[in-house]
Amino acid sequence: MILPGYVIEKRLTPSSTAYVIIPILSIILALAAGAIFLELSGRNCFEIYSRMFSGAFGSRYGLSETVVKAIPLTLTGIGVALAFRMQLWNIGGEGQLYMGAFAATWVALTFPGGSGWWVLPTMVLLGMLAGGLWALIPAIPRAIWGVNEIITTLMLNYVAIFWVDYLVFGPWKDPNGFNFPMTAQFSPGAILPALGNSRIHAGLFFGLALTVIFYLIIYHTRWGYEIRVTGENPNSAHYAGMNSKRNIMLVMFFSGAICGLAGMSEVAGIAGRLQQGLSPGYGFTAIIIAWLSRLNPFAIVIVAFLFAGLQVGGYIVQTSGIPSSMVTMLQGLLLFFVLGGELLTNYTIKRMPANPSGDDMR
Amino acid sequence: MKKFNFKVLLALATVLLISMLVAGCGGNSAKEQPASQSEGEKLKVGFVYIGPVDDGGWTTAHEQARQYLEKELPYVDASDYVENVPENPNDAERVITQLVEQGNKIIFTTSFGYMDPTIKVAQKYPDVKFLHCSGVKTAENVGTYFGRMYQARYLSGLVAGKATKTNIIGYVAAYPIPEVIRGINAFTLGVRKVNPEAKVKVVWINTWVDAAQAKDAAVALLDAGADVIAQHHDAPGPQQAAEAAGKFGVGYNSDMSKIAPKAVLTSPVWNWGPYYVETVKAIKEGTWDSTPKYGSFTYWGGLKEGVVGLAPFGPMVSEETKQLVEQEKQRIISGEWDVFTGPIKDQKGEIKVPDGQKLSDQELIEMMWFVEGVEGTIPQN
Amino acid sequence: MQETYLVELKNITKRFPGVTANDKVNFNVRKGEIHVLLGENGSGKSTLMSILSGLYRPDEGEIIVRGIKMVFRSPRNAISAGIGMVHQHFKLIDSFSVAENVILGDDRTAPVLNIKDVENNLAQLSARYGLDINPSSMVWQLSVGEKQRVEIVKMLYRGSQVLILDEPTAVLTPQEADKLFRNLREMAGTGRGIVVITHKLNEVMEIADRVTVLRRGKAVATLERGQFNRTDLAWLMVGQDVVLQNKKKSPPGQRKVLELKGVGCLNDLGRNCLQDVSFTVHQGEIFGIAGVAGNGQRELAEVIAGLRRATEGSIIVNGTDITGFSPRRVIDHGVALVPEDRLGTGLIPNMGAVDNLVLKDYRRREMSRGPFLNRRKAYEKVKQLVNRFEIKLSSLDAPVKLMSGGNLQRLLLAREITSNPKLLIAVYPVRGLDIKATEAVHNLLLEQRERGMAILLISEDLEEIFKLSDRIGVLCGGRITGIIPSEMTDIEEIGLLMMGGTGEMVL
Repeated sequence: MILPGYVIEKRLTPSSTAYVIIPILSIILALAAGAIFLELSGRNCFEIYSRMFSGAFGSRYGLSETVVKAIPLTLTGIGVALAFRMQLWNIGGEGQLYMGAFAATWVALTFPGGSGWWVLPTMVLLGMLAGGLWALIPAIPRAIWGVNEIITTLMLNYVAIFWVDYLVFGPWKDPNGFNFPMTAQFSPGAILPALGNSRIHAGLFFGLALTVIFYLIIYHTRWGYEIRVTGENPNSAHYAGMNSKRNIMLVMFFSGAICGLAGMSEVAGIAGRLQQGLSPGYGFTAIIIAWLSRLNPFAIVIVAFLFAGLQVGGYIVQTSGIPSSMVTMLQGLLLFFVLGGELLTNYTIKRMPANPSGDDMR
Repeated sequence: MKKFNFKVLLALATVLLISMLVAGCGGNSAKEQPASQSEGEKLKVGFVYIGPVDDGGWTTAHEQARQYLEKELPYVDASDYVENVPENPNDAERVITQLVEQGNKIIFTTSFGYMDPTIKVAQKYPDVKFLHCSGVKTAENVGTYFGRMYQARYLSGLVAGKATKTNIIGYVAAYPIPEVIRGINAFTLGVRKVNPEAKVKVVWINTWVDAAQAKDAAVALLDAGADVIAQHHDAPGPQQAAEAAGKFGVGYNSDMSKIAPKAVLTSPVWNWGPYYVETVKAIKEGTWDSTPKYGSFTYWGGLKEGVVGLAPFGPMVSEETKQLVEQEKQRIISGEWDVFTGPIKDQKGEIKVPDGQKLSDQELIEMMWFVEGVEGTIPQN
Repeated sequence: MQETYLVELKNITKRFPGVTANDKVNFNVRKGEIHVLLGENGSGKSTLMSILSGLYRPDEGEIIVRGIKMVFRSPRNAISAGIGMVHQHFKLIDSFSVAENVILGDDRTAPVLNIKDVENNLAQLSARYGLDINPSSMVWQLSVGEKQRVEIVKMLYRGSQVLILDEPTAVLTPQEADKLFRNLREMAGTGRGIVVITHKLNEVMEIADRVTVLRRGKAVATLERGQFNRTDLAWLMVGQDVVLQNKKKSPPGQRKVLELKGVGCLNDLGRNCLQDVSFTVHQGEIFGIAGVAGNGQRELAEVIAGLRRATEGSIIVNGTDITGFSPRRVIDHGVALVPEDRLGTGLIPNMGAVDNLVLKDYRRREMSRGPFLNRRKAYEKVKQLVNRFEIKLSSLDAPVKLMSGGNLQRLLLAREITSNPKLLIAVYPVRGLDIKATEAVHNLLLEQRERGMAILLISEDLEEIFKLSDRIGVLCGGRITGIIPSEMTDIEEIGLLMMGGTGEMVL
């Protein structure tokens, strides 16, 4: 009970309009709550919001940068969503991203003059392989002994991040980099082509292609059907003769491989080198994105784009005198309200009659 | 959503926790500044900061200089700054570009990690001037600048050498890069000038900002017998650790005696304001050029220019020490002597700089060896 | 002069999207009576009692407790008004003790807990009504029947004057059901009102002081004991005459489809639960397994289907030894299973009918195009099955969890039967189904028998076993205690074997 006279009741079948309207309302409410803080600190909230919006989506440059930021978010979002589809809680997207970046960098550093056509495809393949194998490590004990993958995937994040730290501080440090924790610059043959003079790189293509592939696999292939059945009801999967052990390992492998591709495209598309702090937590943000998207691949692209806009716009409004902590707070509010709105999608608030007699009821 | 079970909650809780930790590393600040409308004619100058403006250290020093710049030069609008900009390649390049797009004609990027992004953006905007702090790459429109912090560190080393009783001084160091190594060496030379028996123990923590890790390192050094803690790190954690243990410390970046008044002997500090004013003036007047005159730096000022200095001494520092420091300071300012003048031995005891010789600026900038008296190793490739 | 009831529901109407679950229903409970609420599945019994227990709010109508009009906003309100409900699915926490479960969520619990007092109280309550509960035992150690009694004692402890039990015997053995009925009678004897929801006519005959029959959301009759008999009630429930008759036509074939030789296996706790089980099922034969639930029935079905490993013996299907085969290979050898747990195993509750109906043959060539699933084919097949098996669906893609029990079972049977198995294992195929749905399922099974399928029917309902089976095997304590052709025995003899007696005519 939230207020006297009101009750929360579960919806039997959430209405399809609720799926659309409630998130939108949640965003409006979050902005309204943020506006209170902005106004209290003496700022014009409309101006701030419109700058945030136009900074992220309003200009050619802003838009292209939002896309750049959306690329790793989409890829990792798709990656973890694949595992979530089978109720495998892969919290290790971040580590798998780092391992993908690691393997791709290995290719670039091992063949420094390499400018052949094969360099980039090899980086893609090895990046995916490394991310996939990294995810396979927790998948095997999960498949065979049922070891909880939340803990193992989470912990392997740190192993991967520190492994990359070790490399960029140690053996892979740029000999001409004054001991700074980064590798040498890749040769042009190991850098993903970009769109025009923007920073939008071929990772965008990977993201969109994987979105479609994800959709086709999950909804239209027999393997995807097995994934959905296993995710919904593991007993049924066993009963129907599906090989869950194999599927757990395969799904985790591909989930990790996609996150690995995100890492590859960050080093080869943006930085052109591996360095400490490569990802500001894409693998973790991906979990929120996948969940808000209800594991729908097309929704993941949209949500990742909006999240990217939120971050890009957040830096823009700093120059209007908004401290970065205020921006972080706004982002937190948005998440809070959108996740809170989830409740209303599946539940409804009903008014109780004050007078219990039947006459004045609907 | 029936399957929204415990596992999901656990997963979400984990994510939330992590996001909170990540967010917790950010700063909290409120910028006091009128929403000044750009009045068309003003020269816009933008700043990119690695930390929050109130980190009490590196970024605060730059922020104070930005405010100084606005005050000194009425024709300058330096209201655009962006804090907490990570050095990851995805974000830094965009933030710099956006500052340009917002009409800033001069941009100061105040962390080494912004080097490649600064160069990349500069190529796209030849009309805009970029000044990259501590970097090693210049271009037609990209200058580098830094301060001879080693001079101030040498002076603080004198103070520390006088203060130590155990003859062990701890040094919490961020990264094994020439800038930090130079500082350790200068500090050690200062220490050993007044106390040839003393040793400086170095611990690398590989972070500029992680306060907890810096504090832990300081505690470890105290346990190892150190009774003075110096630091090359942005946060004052090591000084707090020294105070808690009843020992002394030497701060960095800005005056850290406010945080640990009983411990801090002094702090080598930055004072970028005069340089910023001078540079912006020179650019406006067309007299600026990016040629690296000091090794790879376009500008490398020291005690003489006032870019670096010492914060006021703590009450525990004796008059005798103060006089010695003042004497050495004048020697450096006058140019008759600099810190890295021979004879200087390396850790193996071999003469690295012969008597009467002086290391060149480029040698200082590339310095990757420790002087005698430092206990610690530099990770090599 | 109007009688004051313990509780009275007046003109209750409750609508859900697309259906009116209750339509102006009147219902009341007197002191000291057992009032049975009878109706087919989907007739609105559970909805009505959910309203009475505060889980749902009525759209129209009123609830009067001891003469006072009440509005229940939550089950908590109902409990404090003295109305407690024991649900079909128990709401207990396994890792807590009985006493801890009882005080869980009880507003009156003092901030400083004295669990000993609670345990003493519970022990007294339990002894008084013969409930036989140890308040300090852990819930996970309890049998289903014991858990149900914990739920009952929980409601008594909270002072319930009206006790509602939703299909209480569905999970019980006949012995446990008898014990429950005795307990209920004791409680009614102390002036409480008991409401039992059921669709089983024999239960009504056995315990009801009064019965209210619901049909399609309407209360069609409320009758006092003495005013009703089985046929009348059945007619009221279904609205048409029910014909119970044997439809077997041809005799079973001679070819052995399933042969078990000395099979044994372990249960989930790792204990022996099947020992030396041997029997044969022929083509065109229904072989019934009778026995009290929990004597190895579920495990038997799972061992044959490859879901559980046999620790000894061999299983032969159509001449092939399938012992140790993976579930998938067992399916490929023509074994279909209608599991006991429909929504938990047999079907995927959150998926639509199409996805559910291809669960077994999605791998087959006719359902595929390369690695892809041929959705068009799947839809065609589903439409065909929906017509043939008269499955009522709101849409082909709506989650099947919204379907009624009878429809779910039809869906499940349709899938298993149309995979053209050599052997169909049906475990409790009509449990929880109403008369009409039961009849439909039985007809389907007999039809398959006529077509030459071998059927292993596992059921606790002896009437069902006798009606369908050609031969009956009795399972007791994990062993087959007798195998007898159905026309050569009677319910008494099978009952004796079920209780562990040794029949003379063991074959």
